[in-house]
Parts: sequence; C-alpha cells; structure tokens
Amino acid sequence: MKRFLTFALAAALFSSCSDDDDNQIVTPVTPGEMSLTLDARIGNEDFALNKDFAVAGQTLNFNKLRYWVSNVVLVDTKGAEYKVPDSYFLMEEVSDLDLSGTINDKMTYPANKRETITLKNIPAGEYKTIKFGIGVDSKYNDNLSLRTGELTIANGMSNIAWMWHSSYLFTSVGGTVKKGADSKAFTAETGLNANYKTVSIDLPTPVNSSTSKGFVLNLDVIKVFDGIDVMANPAINAMTAPLMSTVSTNYATKAIIFGSEAK
Amino acid sequence: MTMASIRTIAFWAAALLFSSCSQQQVESEPEVYSFQVPANFPQPVFDTHNPMSHQGIELGRKLFYDVRLSANNKVSCASCHQPQLAFTDGMQLSKAGVSGTALLRHAPAIFNLAWVNNGLFWDGGSTNLESQVFGPLTAHDEMAQNLYELVDELNAVPAFVSAFQNAFQEPVSSQNVAKALAQFQRSLVSAGSKYDRYRLNQTGGALTSDELAGLMLVRQKCQGCHTGELFTDQGYHNNGIDADFSNTEHEGLYTGRYRISYDLADLGKFKTPSLRNVALTAPYMHDGRFTSLEDVLDHYSAAVKPSATLDARLPASGLNLSAQEKKQIILFLHTLTDLGFTQNPDHHKPQNF
Repeated sequence: MKRFLTFALAAALFSSCSDDDDNQIVTPVTPGEMSLTLDARIGNEDFALNKDFAVAGQTLNFNKLRYWVSNVVLVDTKGAEYKVPDSYFLMEEVSDLDLSGTINDKMTYPANKRETITLKNIPAGEYKTIKFGIGVDSKYNDNLSLRTGELTIANGMSNIAWMWHSSYLFTSVGGTVKKGADSKAFTAETGLNANYKTVSIDLPTPVNSSTSKGFVLNLDVIKVFDGIDVMANPAINAMTAPLMSTVSTNYATKAIIFGSEAK
Repeated sequence: MTMASIRTIAFWAAALLFSSCSQQQVESEPEVYSFQVPANFPQPVFDTHNPMSHQGIELGRKLFYDVRLSANNKVSCASCHQPQLAFTDGMQLSKAGVSGTALLRHAPAIFNLAWVNNGLFWDGGSTNLESQVFGPLTAHDEMAQNLYELVDELNAVPAFVSAFQNAFQEPVSSQNVAKALAQFQRSLVSAGSKYDRYRLNQTGGALTSDELAGLMLVRQKCQGCHTGELFTDQGYHNNGIDADFSNTEHEGLYTGRYRISYDLADLGKFKTPSLRNVALTAPYMHDGRFTSLEDVLDHYSAAVKPSATLDARLPASGLNLSAQEKKQIILFLHTLTDLGFTQNPDHHKPQNF
C-alpha cells in the first residue's frame, strides 16, 4: 500500500515542474543523430599533449588545444542546407588549466579531451558537404550575455578583462618549442569578428544519414602554423594581427580535411 | 490507514504538486518598458536581444547599488558611479576597488548610453553594455567578483531569486546580471538641462548673452567631435594631450584605441565623452589629468601636442581662445547640467535595500 503512495508522489514529481514538453515523450536513440569528429593530428601521427613532435628542425610539445566549432551546416545532394540549431561546441585537449583571474581569483579547469560532437535531429538525407565555423560569429561574440549551445565565459575561452575586446577567444593552442639549445613557451590565440572563418568540407561520396554514423575530419595542428616560424613568433594574439589572421585562415583552409566516414 | 484514505492522500499530494508548479508557469510576463526618446534627440538603435522591462530595470538598479557584486562585498557599481555626479566619482583615478590600487582609467559618466553604438570604455573595447559589465565585475582591481560565487550569493536572497524570475522568467545567472545592469543603464537618460529647455523653447530656457556666445563658440570649436544633441560623436580622437604613445605597459593601455584596433592610425585616440553634465564630471580626460574645465580649455587653447594622429579638426597650435571666450564656453557648459537627472530618485539607491 505504501508503494502506491510512493508511486503517486513520484509520478507527480516527475510530471510537474518542467518548462517544456520534452519529457512527455521518451525517445530512445534518435535515428537522426550523426557524429562529427575532428581528429587532431601532427602530420600522420595522432596529436597528444606533453609529447615531443619533431617538425622541420624544431621540436614542439603541446599543453593545450582548444577551439570553438559553431554553426554546423549539412548540405544535401540537392544543395539544401540543414543548419544544426544551437550548435556551438568547445573542442579541446587540455591538461588541468589554471584559469585564475578570469572569472574567478583561483580556478582550475580540469583536464579534458573532446574530439567528437553529436549532431542531433538530422533530417534523413544524402549529405555531400559539411560546413562549420571556427570561432564564434559576431552576434554572440559581441554579446557575452547571450546563451546558446556550449558558449560560456567560464571556461577561459573568452576575454572579459581589459586586455582585448570583451569577446570570445576563437582558438587557443600552446606549449613549448625547442630548436637546438633554445626553448620557448608559445601560444597562438585567435579572436575578433574578422577572424571568424567557415570551414567547408566536401565529402568524397555523399553520406546517407540513416545508414552512416557520421564523419571523421582530420585536423593537422602543424598546418595551423603554416607559414609561421613558431620559434620567432611565440606569442600570436590580437597584438600580432596579421599572424592571428594567418592562423585563423589556416584553421579554415589548410588544417582540416576529410578523414573517413565514422564506423 | 485504509486503502481509500491512502488513495485520497496520494491524490491530494499529487494535486498539490501539480497546482504549485502550474502557478509558476502562469507567472506574468515582464512589463515592456516604453523608452521615451527626448524631442531633440536622435532615435537610439536598441539591441533586440535584451528588451527593456520595468522589472529588468528595477533589478538592474538593485544590482547597481549592491555590494554583493564584489569579492569583498564592499564595492558596488555606485562606488565609482555616483548618481549625483552624473554617475562619476570625482576622483582622478579611483582606489575604491577591492584591491585598493589606483585604477589606470578615470571612471566615465553613465547616461544616454542607449545611443552608444560604437563601443564602450575609453578605448571602445566592449561592443555593448551586456558584454562590458563583465570587465569591472571581474577585474582584479575593481570588483574582483567570482561569477560562480555571485550566483550563489544572489540565490541566497529570496528577493533576488523572485526579481530574476520576474524580469527574465529565468533563474539567477551572471548573463542575466549583465542584462539587468544593461537595462538599468540604458534607462538613464539625461535630457532635462537648461540647454534642452532653450532648444525646445520651454520656460526657464532663456540663455544669457554670455551663455549664448558660449553656445556659438562650442558649435564652432567643439562640436566637430562633441556633436549634436548628445554632444558626442561616439568616436575616438587624439585631442593632443599626449604625443608619445610608445609606452606599451599594461597591455597597451596608453595607446588608446590602438590596443583594440591595432591600427596605427588609432594611436592615442580615446572616446569622445559627452559634454552634457560636464560641470559635474570633473576631473577630465581618460586619466582624469585635468581638474577643472578651465584646465581643459587651457589645453585646447594653447597646449595641444602635435603628433601623427592628432585630430585634423584641432590646429596643432591650439584653438587660441581668449579669456572671455573661455569664460563664455564654461558658462554655456553649465547650462548642460541636468539636476533633474542627477536628483531623479528612480536612479538612486532603492529604499529599504
């Protein structure tokens, strides 16, 4: 008899207090889900933190790789575009990050690796192109009080102090670079509306959303620095506008290529 | 207990839960605030992402005066932006922040911000009030507020929890703190000076001959930058107070607009402040270096320092104003004081708070 009472109360609790109708229909796995993986690499090797990579006479050792992927669009074989709503994702590979002095005097952001995102409610179709932005578009970049997707000023991917515009950091990659006996810390950060770039990747063969699990794209981190001597330019940011622009363009046009269909 | 009585209890328990929640769901919408554009002002362009409401403005006002917004719970926005001084602080460089360290910029006035469409801060480093607020709120030498703690502190005050619900139909969040503060600040309109009464041919708007002569001089000599009825072009100019911008300390703070645009043509440029209420907002310039309007006019008259980015409207030799012209300009500038604005109880610290 007590069970009956418990059930009634539990039912009441579950069914009340919801702002929307989402939980009225229990959907198992949405058939329209597709994954998008950006597999970070160094040339043909897998990208990893705290590991030496010998590239063109220099040794690079990374401690962070972070960037926003936003406004994902799938283009079907007829050219129709499906815009994934609220698609703002933070992709990253980081050790524990000290974010003290950002939104908080003392703060540690825990180590994380995130290369795959799930795109939900994709209409059934044959898709031939995937497009997305690297960074944050001007609407959200100019207004830190707007919320969508995973955007937040709380994870160190924004500039809310006096240093820059009050806006998001689009990308941030850093570590140490060695050449002979020389060793330097380096960071390459991008931001500002002009550097919001769209990546467009044509798939070698169209992908059917009902049979495919998704896509894997390859991000070659070395190509992010294409045309830039990291040893000579260890701090790329708003104060080095042309280099910041080059890095932004590299992300969009050189670093990301099609890898494979997700298995 | 019988089965029937248990069923009855269960029914009423469920009914109670349903009804309490449905009350929350039919909560009233925030009341739209109808922004009055003064007759002699241009139309402002509003950010559609943060519509003003009476509840939002009132919440913003409470937050503006609340010391909970700082790390040591001793500093509020009003510590440096006092309504009776047109929301300035009378200090050259404030030490009122959490660290007690003198700031590097002079506290700007807060009024007529609904018309600001070209960046906030002396160098324009923030696009709108909604983003701007996170600067002083988190800056180490200002309010140094941990944004997570802020949400916890506000959630501990039932009046704030309901005020956020009423204004945004959402719980407390740092984003909604920013939106509420932005709404309050946009509601601060100063358009009731003697000059405005003169412009609108209203009683009490007669200017003396010296004030009129001052107005003519301001139109000729100052309104290149301090333009229109807002008395600012919202632009950035090098007004010749410095000629050497090679100091790159403090992340380029002394380079002015350049630190935002990284355009060499912007070296030494700072935002044009409005001349409205200027008699109340001493000291002057981005670093508060001039203590009086006389000092300011002495600068423009004969102490302009030429440099590559000096504003073309300003002769390198200065405006060469006579003593009488300076006096007349200052007399006119006093007609831009709006005591109705500075004394408006709606802008002051809420009662019983």
